[in-house]
Amino acid sequence: MSSPLGAGSPISARGPILEACGLVKSYDEGRVEALRGVDVKIDAGEYVAISGPSGSGKSTLLHLLGGLDTATHGQVFYKGSELGKAVDLDSYRSRQVGFIFQAFYLLPTLRAVENVQVAMLAVNQKANHRAERAAALLEELGLEARMKHFPNQLSAGERQRVAIARALANDPAMLLADEPTGNLDSVNSAHIMEILRGIREQRGMTMIIVTHENDIAHNAPRHIRIRDGRIES
Amino acid sequence: MASQLSFTGFAWKNLWRRRLRTLLTLVGITMGIGAFVALVGFSRAFEHEWMRMYTSSGIDIAVVQSNILNSSIDESLATKIGAVPNVAEVAPMIFNLMDLTPEVNALVYGWRANSYELDSLTLLSGHRFHDGSPEILLGDLLASNLGKKTGDMLSIQGTNFTVVGIFHGGSALEAGSVIMPLDQMQIVAGMEGKVTAFHVKLRPAPTGESYDEYVRRASAAIEAALPGTRAFPAAERAANNSIVVLAHSVAWGTSAIALLIGILGIANTMAMSVFERTREIGILRALGWKGRHVILLILTEATALGFAGGLLGIGAGWGALRLLSTLPQTASIVSATVSPLHLLESLVIAIASGLLAGAYPAWRGARLSPVEALRYE
Repeated sequence: MSSPLGAGSPISARGPILEACGLVKSYDEGRVEALRGVDVKIDAGEYVAISGPSGSGKSTLLHLLGGLDTATHGQVFYKGSELGKAVDLDSYRSRQVGFIFQAFYLLPTLRAVENVQVAMLAVNQKANHRAERAAALLEELGLEARMKHFPNQLSAGERQRVAIARALANDPAMLLADEPTGNLDSVNSAHIMEILRGIREQRGMTMIIVTHENDIAHNAPRHIRIRDGRIES
Repeated sequence: MASQLSFTGFAWKNLWRRRLRTLLTLVGITMGIGAFVALVGFSRAFEHEWMRMYTSSGIDIAVVQSNILNSSIDESLATKIGAVPNVAEVAPMIFNLMDLTPEVNALVYGWRANSYELDSLTLLSGHRFHDGSPEILLGDLLASNLGKKTGDMLSIQGTNFTVVGIFHGGSALEAGSVIMPLDQMQIVAGMEGKVTAFHVKLRPAPTGESYDEYVRRASAAIEAALPGTRAFPAAERAANNSIVVLAHSVAWGTSAIALLIGILGIANTMAMSVFERTREIGILRALGWKGRHVILLILTEATALGFAGGLLGIGAGWGALRLLSTLPQTASIVSATVSPLHLLESLVIAIASGLLAGAYPAWRGARLSPVEALRYE
């Protein structure tokens, strides 16, 4: 049996998987502009770090790329098809994107293994397949003894590993992580980044990480700096 | 084997996280459905007993005043009704619900001593009453509740009557009733020369004509012969006599209020639940749950509340009916019988209540923007 972390077929043909054109995101009837015309192209299998000061718009950009939000102006294309028009956002989030958040966002009433399965409820997987895959993912992430624990019974590092398993549940093409180590100590932070690096190498999957930590940003093959809603470099 | 998470299992966990609120909501819907089962069940059983009474007495048609504001009709019209073709017998009668003691009330009938309706009763003791005499017959259930036997006295509306016989009738209404001479009932009710209705027995239907058609034709003939009257087939009269109509109205009115309270309880619970789980709904939406998945989850929770409340309400309502059917105050007019159709109807109403109550919170939950919901504190 192949590893659940590497269950997907590696992407061989490199080319743009995501392309953002002229992204503008404004709030409060245009009085606040989080993004002011962002163009970015991300190739399949690429590992990109996005950094910038607080309020620079890096998380907003990640949300737009991940289909969590829609732009005020501009478009995002996934494999050449426009999100929200040619590509249904819900299906895109459930099948093509795995999200990892700083605050983990696990559901408190569900056990670890159930938190992983909840992502698969959206894609009509069979119940036994859901349970088996969730267990296998947690096992790969070293949580075989913590599967039946509730989030409040897990350490911060363990919670983030459960969130990573959940993000991989539907075998997505991309992992989008918003400050994945922001709530972790240095040891757990290093462990989580090691896991993410392993996943990317095994799968060759596209990974976009928003971070304010220089180490993480500089270790990425591509580093996008964003300031005041615009890409600096 | 790792535990499997199903959609319904997820809904159950959401309900169970706020146990007290869920249980209180269940109490609300249980009371609503319980009231519906008990009250509407009672009023329907009441109507059914009326029908049984008509059937066992051989009544085909009931003739009443057509003016709904006037519930009495001249006794002298009996002769004219008797002259209508196909009418075999006419029994003028009065009925009323009266207090016999502070604790016990009962249906009291005034019949003539020679009424054909008396033929359907089985005398367990004593004999029939005589017109013009302060004598009464007691149904066996009522006699038992009152502790009366043949030869005892019973005061009704200030007049003393001798119990001359105990009978068993074909329906619970008769078993719990008093029957006295029509002329005595007219005095007690202040209706000298008047009656509430005429109960008509027809000759056998001619060959080739259905019973229903025959009764309708005879009813039309009676109405034509006596302008200002309405002639109802017995089945119709069982449903539309003033006491049954009142019972139906009170039952449906009270049940509707109780159900509305139950529905508002579920709606409040689900609205609070969606409000409290805004961020969790955002997480589900971020994971790719479609709006319809969120709607389905919330409606599943609301429907589960309705279904569970429905089952508990059916138990509570049935229990209330059984209790009422044993109390002396109500035994004569309450039957503990509840039709399976009524139980099914109650369950359907309970589930529909859940769906109705969950509709708005579900719609609201589905409309949440993932990113806005995730930001929610």
